[in-house]
Amino acid sequence: MGKEVEKAEKIDELYNSFLSREKLKQYKENGKKIIGTLCNNVPEEIIHSFGAVPARMLGLADSTELASSKIPTWVCLYTKRIMEDALRGDFDFLDGIVGMTSDDTKSQFYSAYTFYLKPEFSYLIQIPYVRDDLSLNFFRKELERFIAKLSEFIEEEFSEDRLAKSIAIYNEFRELLDELLALRHLDSPKLSGEDWLKILLSSTAMLKEDFNNSLPPVLAEIKDFEGYKDYKLRIHLSGTDFYDVEIVRMIESLGGLVVSDDLCTAEGYYKGIVEGFNLKDLAKRYLNQSACVLTAGLENLSIEDRLNFIGERLRESKADAIILLRDRGCEICGHQCPFILQEFGKMGIPTLILDLDSPYPTEQMRTRVEAFIESYG
Amino acid sequence: MEDLKLQEWNPLGYKTLYRNLFKKHLARQDELLKQGKKVGWFFSFHPSEIIYIFDVVPAFPEQYSAYAAARGSSVDLIDASITKGFGHFLCDYFKTTIGMIEEPEKATKPLMPKPDFIVDTRALCVAHHEMTEVFARKYGIPKYTVNYPYWTSDALGKVDELTKIPERVDELYMEYSIAKLKGLFEFMEKVSGTPFDEEKFKDVFETSEKTSKLLIDIAKLMMSKPTPGSQREIADLVFLGFFVLGSDYAYEFAEKGYEMIKERVKRKEGVVPEEKLRLLTFGIMPWHSLSLYEYCEMMGATFPVNLYVNASLHLCDAKNPWESMVRRSMHFTNSTYDLLDGVVENARKADLDGALLLENTGCRITSMIIHPLADVLQEELGIPSLILEAPQCDPRVMPLERAKTQVEAFVESLL
Ligand code: SF4
Ligand code: SF4
Repeated sequence: MGKEVEKAEKIDELYNSFLSREKLKQYKENGKKIIGTLCNNVPEEIIHSFGAVPARMLGLADSTELASSKIPTWVCLYTKRIMEDALRGDFDFLDGIVGMTSDDTKSQFYSAYTFYLKPEFSYLIQIPYVRDDLSLNFFRKELERFIAKLSEFIEEEFSEDRLAKSIAIYNEFRELLDELLALRHLDSPKLSGEDWLKILLSSTAMLKEDFNNSLPPVLAEIKDFEGYKDYKLRIHLSGTDFYDVEIVRMIESLGGLVVSDDLCTAEGYYKGIVEGFNLKDLAKRYLNQSACVLTAGLENLSIEDRLNFIGERLRESKADAIILLRDRGCEICGHQCPFILQEFGKMGIPTLILDLDSPYPTEQMRTRVEAFIESYG
Repeated sequence: MEDLKLQEWNPLGYKTLYRNLFKKHLARQDELLKQGKKVGWFFSFHPSEIIYIFDVVPAFPEQYSAYAAARGSSVDLIDASITKGFGHFLCDYFKTTIGMIEEPEKATKPLMPKPDFIVDTRALCVAHHEMTEVFARKYGIPKYTVNYPYWTSDALGKVDELTKIPERVDELYMEYSIAKLKGLFEFMEKVSGTPFDEEKFKDVFETSEKTSKLLIDIAKLMMSKPTPGSQREIADLVFLGFFVLGSDYAYEFAEKGYEMIKERVKRKEGVVPEEKLRLLTFGIMPWHSLSLYEYCEMMGATFPVNLYVNASLHLCDAKNPWESMVRRSMHFTNSTYDLLDGVVENARKADLDGALLLENTGCRITSMIIHPLADVLQEELGIPSLILEAPQCDPRVMPLERAKTQVEAFVESLL
């Protein structure tokens, strides 16, 4: 039991760095530039190679009154919370932001953010939606364009060697997470979905080398754990920019165990090693990400790529059921949910849709999850 | 209230022109269908010239949805889409179209012809791309994506709001967009079975150039004092700008339409006898409640500037057709908000008193820019805005009577 507590404390310590943004503020005090990113597909390695700190922007506010006077109330919670935190001054420590054209919300939100908050540095990366050679070549050049602007802002020359080092650090990060992920796939998973999400979130709020140093002792504790045996249902969590630990905790308190996901903030964020050490390899990795973005091969539809991504996660994790987290303001969920339901319904995988609307989890949500787990567990 | 007495409404008379335009457009469509030509679905801001270069039958989900909204079936279709599990807060055009596909018996006839292929350009929104994926999957048909950038001021400098001529264009973006457009032409050859014809290409772009000039002139003349026309007629210019530019019938419309408005301006005749306020408007028209504009105008509040119409215009240069197609995407609704400069510069010429802005629920393009736009108008031109939440195909959110009351109060506050 003592070990259990120790493990939980270590994970919470990591998670607290996400909640407090303490590490980011420390880096800032030590003279580093902090660059907020607005999408999991922003190639952080580039920012990192300049000695700056890429930090995924995730708002922590539990209400969004200020944001509601600047952006529509019906857009996704993800953007409303960032706007709220920003308007409250909670992102004042950022030196700049980098957005991406991965959907309308993200493009327009980038505009709204720069309009209202006027960050010292901002760049919007144009991502192609088709994975042909022409687009890959364009994307590489687009990253060069981004590099030139960032270099000007940071007043530092770009270095291919430093980029290679950053890629290596990020690949190490991905390998560590793969190792951790494998522990969720065991018949008696050694890691809960709640702890997994906490660890992942902490990785967005510190330098990856620091994360890589912090994780091994936690990993050792997790490996030592005998694993969860008394759960009723192995669950795959599907969604987009979701990061509410409370909902995962609620699901797991009712007998579910979250063993995989395709969230932009978790498996969709870190999956995919960069196969090489130059900019072209980096461009390829980011253009090939298929967890949620609308990029697809020439003959494919991105929804098919996403379904494949989910299918792979289900196979690896042996999940029995899917809980689909649908933010009512999320355009990706809005278009893709019916296909996910249909596809996995055909395979006989039970799926529950949870409409997200803060504050949550609500009693009604809890009752639905409970009934779902009881029915299929 | 005496001030708001309704005045006699005196529109330009474009109604007949539109009727002729649609008649010719539909006749062409019927003829090509009879010949077994392929059907393509296209969205606003696509290079409409390709329709005429490759002799395909076009159908436009946005236009169909607007039509369904005007005829009253969009509400059922939107509900059908939600019942099928699609999101509530998606674009009304998507919801209406998917409703038509899923429950055609509830949809206004004629339905859109079933597509053989779809083209999306991201010249306006990623939603076009998102819905293209859904439609392509439903029908099992090929699609092509032209990936224009979401423009930033560092790529363009300033952009003229009407012509879409920028100070400069980042070469990388221009080259990639053109390469993608060339890919589109290859795709069109393949799906239409019609080989590319250089002569036809030139002809269509020449027509497009002549038409685009006239449309811009019409938009400029609308800013005259008093406002010569009604938004009930001007708002529909988007059909020309978005969908049929390059056709002879669009040119014919533009020529006549230009003459009519020119004459009006010469005579200093307005849409109402006594113009009391001059308003800017933006947002997609609530197609179910277009009479809102007429009502405002009858109160004496006219609309010399419609930013939605302005966005649909660009000056086509037949000598540089590829660049022209790309410039079509350089409107402020496909740009970061610092590019609102161009809008302000143009609007300044119109001597405005206020703005009526429509937040189209589900459309992130028109809705997210609304507050920044209102702020810019206030700061730069000193004019207040009324923001109405108005999804373009769903009257339940903005019943006409409620909208009228809000507009009345706004107009009164400005007088
Ligand atoms: S993917 Fe969904 S949640 Fe994420 S920014 Fe886009 S709309 Fe918002
Ligand atoms: S601009 Fe808005 S209303 Fe028009 S198609 Fe795109 S999302 Fe829909």
